[in-house]
Amino acid sequence: MDQLFLQLVNGLAVGGIYALVALGYTMVYGVLKLINFAHGDLFTIGAYLGLTLFVGMGLAGTLPVFPAVLLTAVMVMGLTALLGGVLERAAYRPLRKAGRLSAVVSALGASIFFQNAVMLVWGANYEVYPEIMRPSTVIFLFDTGVPLIRMLIIGVSLLLMLALYGFTHHTRTGTAVRAAAIDQGAAALMGINVNRIITLVFLIGPGLGGVAGIMVGLSYGQIDFSMGFSYGLKAFTAAVLGGIGNIPGAMLGGMLLGLIETLGSAYLTIAWKDAISFLVLILILIIRPTGILGERTAEKL
Amino acid sequence: MMTNKFKVLLCIVTLCMMPGFAGAGTVRIGLMCPLTGSWASEGQDMRRIVSLLAAEVNKSGGINGSAVDLVVEDDGGDPRTAALAAQKLAAAGVVAVIGTYGSAVTEASQDILNEAEILQIATGSTSVRLTEKNLPYFFRTCPRDDAQGRVAARYITEAGYRNIAVLHDNSSYARGLAEETGRLLNKAGRNIVFFDALTPKERDYSAILARLRATSPDLVFFTGYYPEAALLLRQKREMGWNVPMMGGDAVNNPDLVKIAGTAAATGFRFISPPVPADLAGERGKAFLAAYRAEYRKEPQSVWAVLAGDAFNVLVEALRRVRPSAASTAAYLKNELGGFPGITGVFSFDVKGDRAGDLYLLYEVNAEGVFKAGP
Repeated sequence: MDQLFLQLVNGLAVGGIYALVALGYTMVYGVLKLINFAHGDLFTIGAYLGLTLFVGMGLAGTLPVFPAVLLTAVMVMGLTALLGGVLERAAYRPLRKAGRLSAVVSALGASIFFQNAVMLVWGANYEVYPEIMRPSTVIFLFDTGVPLIRMLIIGVSLLLMLALYGFTHHTRTGTAVRAAAIDQGAAALMGINVNRIITLVFLIGPGLGGVAGIMVGLSYGQIDFSMGFSYGLKAFTAAVLGGIGNIPGAMLGGMLLGLIETLGSAYLTIAWKDAISFLVLILILIIRPTGILGERTAEKL
Repeated sequence: MMTNKFKVLLCIVTLCMMPGFAGAGTVRIGLMCPLTGSWASEGQDMRRIVSLLAAEVNKSGGINGSAVDLVVEDDGGDPRTAALAAQKLAAAGVVAVIGTYGSAVTEASQDILNEAEILQIATGSTSVRLTEKNLPYFFRTCPRDDAQGRVAARYITEAGYRNIAVLHDNSSYARGLAEETGRLLNKAGRNIVFFDALTPKERDYSAILARLRATSPDLVFFTGYYPEAALLLRQKREMGWNVPMMGGDAVNNPDLVKIAGTAAATGFRFISPPVPADLAGERGKAFLAAYRAEYRKEPQSVWAVLAGDAFNVLVEALRRVRPSAASTAAYLKNELGGFPGITGVFSFDVKGDRAGDLYLLYEVNAEGVFKAGP
């Protein structure tokens, strides 16, 4: 019982990070029908920026740790969002009318560019978040030690996802995002500035990805320049699992993938962990080709 | 003042004047090492170390009166370049070749040197295969990959652990070490309660740890590399599980403590060849002092120091017997026994492998520093 509880917490913490990254893929896909391969690398940049800002600005000495980490996270969110906006301007907007394949090539190019830039700026070695940034408290629940950081990750990712859901479903701008996702032409006719909506999507997605990057650094300590690839792949899978283009789908897909991975390696076999998660993915896609929640549901806005 | 270019030119002219012929009163010894490429730091250290020792030998009268003439060739850490380097050394008329570092690179040069009847002493090539080919003139000063499993099993058995969990990462090195150690532990009557692999380069190993814990081992032996070892240590502590953990030589990197955090890493043990600074024995200490005096820094890698030992045993053999490959090989295999090298006492077995082992047991102390055990 306590074993199962611990594994569930582990799975949700892993899944929360997947879900936050998956949101970036799915929002961009929803509006542009483009898979932004550079998203995983924006996530890496978020992790590195978090380290540099925290250490470089000497936040640790001037503020208590918790507000300092929070401030770092907010700054990183802003910076990666900005970078996402620049990426859209430089790599995707000029190709908006050029067909989807060109945009995909541009996305791959941007991904390689970012990955190499991170390697050249910060170096190819593992970087390590300082001990002081990483809470090491262990909470005891049901006779099981659960690291506080895992609970925090689950909590923060749920909070961010709820905020995003509230934004897209209960504000005018959010409704405009959903409208642009359904039909850009019709949305433009209704007076929505589609270009601004697209920029907004490229601000929100990378912002969430950047926070996920910091959470990886805080929880596991080590970051490296190529980690965006594996996390990006898993998050993209999660987005497809939940139904790409569908925001609640990405959240569900991320959490589910984290749970499948963790429970698969806990109760079946460790070395076959990835094989098991992708087998589940294939099975779900055979039964529901558009993902669990469907690619997009027709709705009245 | 001679410029470097002029010196090189002079060397070339001199070499042209005595083609393929070692001048009277000199013994030519070849050194093949990766001066460029991804192992360049090891290769350059190999050259620094062997040049230092050659200069010492020459200062004290050379080999029975003849001076040592060191011929250095770059193998670039690449098998094709190594084949060319071996041919160049053979053409230069060396009596023996020291090197090289990587196993695949050494393998590319083995047959060329063997056919030319030149003795070869490799220094960092640990692949088992190299000495299983029964080449008569091939030796190495480093241990083989399977020696580590033996040492690991011995330490674990002697420390009295009964239920051992073995974890590897599916790389051929880590898997080999895990299987060899597991086999020997089984033979010694210990229980292997867990044997499986994790996926390297991931971040979250908590599911694996929780599963390990359910098998209640009294030691976890992880044969993979330091990034994963560090995450395991850290996440193990986060779970509040304090089972002792042990690793193989791929965890020997100070970043281990940085990633795991000092508290989580304290008490972690691993077996590894000694880091150069830990070289004990009279000859080891003398070597360290000479190296520091000459280059004003520390030798970085023990694999490079093993090139120094290759040179030492070679000089010892050449002092005793005629400089032919057959007679030096016979001397090294049959009569060298108990020779005091920089990295410990030396003798070679019939295959040309170094007899005895080089490994030490290290433990991370409370300050997060690697300390060699007794």
